[in-house]
Amino acid sequence: MKRVRLPLLLLMLLLPLTSSCGFRDIDKRFFVIAMGIDQPSNGAKGFNVTLRLAVPSPKIEPGSGKNQVVSIQATSIAEAVRLLKAHVDKELDFGHCKVFMLGEGLARNNHTDMLRWLSRRRDVQSVAYMAIGHPDAKSILNIAPPDERYPGNTLFLMFGKDGTQSSYLVPVYVFDFIRRTEERGIDPVLPIIRAEGKSYVITRLALLDKTKLVETITPAQTETYSQIRNQDSKSTVAAVKDGDTMVINVDRISSHYKIVKANGEHVLRLHLRVSGIFEEAPLGIYEANWDKLEELFNEQIASEIEKLFKKVQHAGVDPFGFGLRYRATHAGSPQTWKDWERIYPNLKFDIHVRVKIDGTGLVK
Amino acid sequence: MLNRIEMLFAEARDLTLNRLQNGNLVIEVAYIATLCDESKVSDFILVPFAKQEIPFEDAVKRNPSFKRLDDPAKWAETILHGFVLLQLNGVVYKLDVARIIRNENPQTMVETVIMGPQIALSEDLIDSVNIIRSRYPSEELSVEERTIGTISKTRLLLVFDKHRVDANVLSSIREKLERISDPIFTATGELVRSLGDRYRLFPSMMVTERPDRVCTGIEDGKVILLLQGSMFAIVLPSTFFDFMHAVDDSYDSFWMTRAMIVLRYFAALLTITLPALYVAIMSYNPELFRVQLTFSISGSRSAVPYPSFVEVFIMLFMIESLIEASVRLPKYIGSTATTVGGLILGQAAQQAGLVSSIMIIVTSVVAISNFVIPVNNMSTAIRFLKYPLIIPAIFFGISGVALGMFCYLIYLSDLRSFGKPYFRLFGRTQLQSGDIGQVNQE
Repeated sequence: MKRVRLPLLLLMLLLPLTSSCGFRDIDKRFFVIAMGIDQPSNGAKGFNVTLRLAVPSPKIEPGSGKNQVVSIQATSIAEAVRLLKAHVDKELDFGHCKVFMLGEGLARNNHTDMLRWLSRRRDVQSVAYMAIGHPDAKSILNIAPPDERYPGNTLFLMFGKDGTQSSYLVPVYVFDFIRRTEERGIDPVLPIIRAEGKSYVITRLALLDKTKLVETITPAQTETYSQIRNQDSKSTVAAVKDGDTMVINVDRISSHYKIVKANGEHVLRLHLRVSGIFEEAPLGIYEANWDKLEELFNEQIASEIEKLFKKVQHAGVDPFGFGLRYRATHAGSPQTWKDWERIYPNLKFDIHVRVKIDGTGLVK
Repeated sequence: MLNRIEMLFAEARDLTLNRLQNGNLVIEVAYIATLCDESKVSDFILVPFAKQEIPFEDAVKRNPSFKRLDDPAKWAETILHGFVLLQLNGVVYKLDVARIIRNENPQTMVETVIMGPQIALSEDLIDSVNIIRSRYPSEELSVEERTIGTISKTRLLLVFDKHRVDANVLSSIREKLERISDPIFTATGELVRSLGDRYRLFPSMMVTERPDRVCTGIEDGKVILLLQGSMFAIVLPSTFFDFMHAVDDSYDSFWMTRAMIVLRYFAALLTITLPALYVAIMSYNPELFRVQLTFSISGSRSAVPYPSFVEVFIMLFMIESLIEASVRLPKYIGSTATTVGGLILGQAAQQAGLVSSIMIIVTSVVAISNFVIPVNNMSTAIRFLKYPLIIPAIFFGISGVALGMFCYLIYLSDLRSFGKPYFRLFGRTQLQSGDIGQVNQE
């Protein structure tokens, strides 16, 4: 008796842990692969929830991925999901839902309601991606790329690190998004997905404040954001010399910044070091003076970065987390945050870029 | 003497009782003809007695093979062990003339190696001790004999290194042997059970036919039990890690054997958990797989009408029957059965929509990784462990599997093998360098 007492006790402890999920076989589940949340079209209160469901097939070949898209309008997301269960024959499972998409309309209005549902549900994965659908989430979810091997593959490959790694796509995880909406000193960003024919395009980044979308930045600025924030080495830097565009493929990139006080005002001093080889340049560049070329790159990139910083500053958001850095390096009192709120609108930027050219590619 | 022996035995045609007279010298000879080598009887007793080249009394006294046996209570037992009893001038002598039928020069069959001793222990104690002694030529080797079984009176040898053996272990073994009261012992497995392994989930004694394993055991201070009539020795105490160690690990390339050890633990883990994990992942936590796999499994399972655990039980039933059949069948048919069962049944079951294709893989991984475990009695023990684990998986999913594994670990750590912690790594025996006179005793 004594020997079985411990396992029994553990079993009893386990019961409440697992009682919420039932025994249901994998083939009796409908896997949601993407979920979209929009504003109702007629201006009513509530949400328009769209789910893209995978229809599993034992054959894995191009074009065999079958989808089923269901959509419903309800006053709350939870209610919408419950109503949608009445539309399908299997249990909905969010365990493989990799993309949660906000409609642009909803994002411009208020995105916090969605988080109330997203952060509470057990089977919503924190490592799912978040994005904004342009013009709305439903139209994006309705696209079924014809060459998908299995449902949702295109989206998974675009966001994940397995497939394409575009420098214009900054993947944002759910946990990161939730963190950024709650943390003072850093604001959320979301990639914007738009439809193009039967496929998706993701090039722009949306800047959000704590409640809504405030600004979108251009593809080039998105790349710059990714270089500074994520030190993304799968990117390029470009400069123009006498009307010729020169592009360097980045091998190594590193960015450091500090918030310092100079002459009585706060200055953000950024150091960006880039090294790489030419991917596109006019002939004869091998003979040219590389120091001069590097100087040219330094200036042009620095001005690009400054433009981006200014834009962000004017929008009143902080996607880079400068405020968080300030809070982390100063006393942890409420006063620090108040100081920062005063400093940020007038923050000066001092940007140092050092480009190092490693080579000119295969030809001189 | 003869009358008395005749009374002791049931009517047996092979019981030979002779009264011989040469001159005024009378001897009485008693033996069981079927157990004895009768040429020895005639060489040592009948011929010298008939020829009287030297006086027969002197011959008996000079030859140390004749031993006095004064206790009449032991007569029957002695005769039954293949001795001949000889009464001369009122004194009873015994002489070993046993003829033992055994397998000649047996090869290792159960635990085979590539580069290592190919010869196995013998079914006869004398041959086995010969094999052991020639591999462990040390004056410290102690061989202790006793009998076991109230009816069988099977001879049993305790072999150990006098200096290296752990005295506590030795005395606890002796004590346990005293207490055993089963009637008949024909195989070492029975002895293992009687010594306390009956209800344990893991074997705490190693049963082996390999002389090299026996000798390393003796070197590590273990006690070896040899049973007359069985070519398997018992090595005790043993730890869990001994069972995962193949003798090849000491013979082959160092790095590869280390890798194989890791592989073996991994295989053991797989064979225990995989069926349970299948149930848990299929029915509770499908988010554990990558999405690609989930969809393909989901697609291949959609034809299966039963819940995942029924599927698991169907396939495990099939594979266990296959293994059992291939053990029971005569060797010549054995391979046919496996081919038929393994290839055709597995493929057909999947096509018929009885099981999913991934279940076929799970089943074969479970079966194959089970055979990776080198010692047979551990392999059988582990073969059972997967079944209890399926039950918490059915009710609690992944957390149930974790709980089950946790319970197994607790149980393992709780086990003792003759007082030694079962789930503990004992380091290598230290090399005796330098001081030759001193024997390292832990």
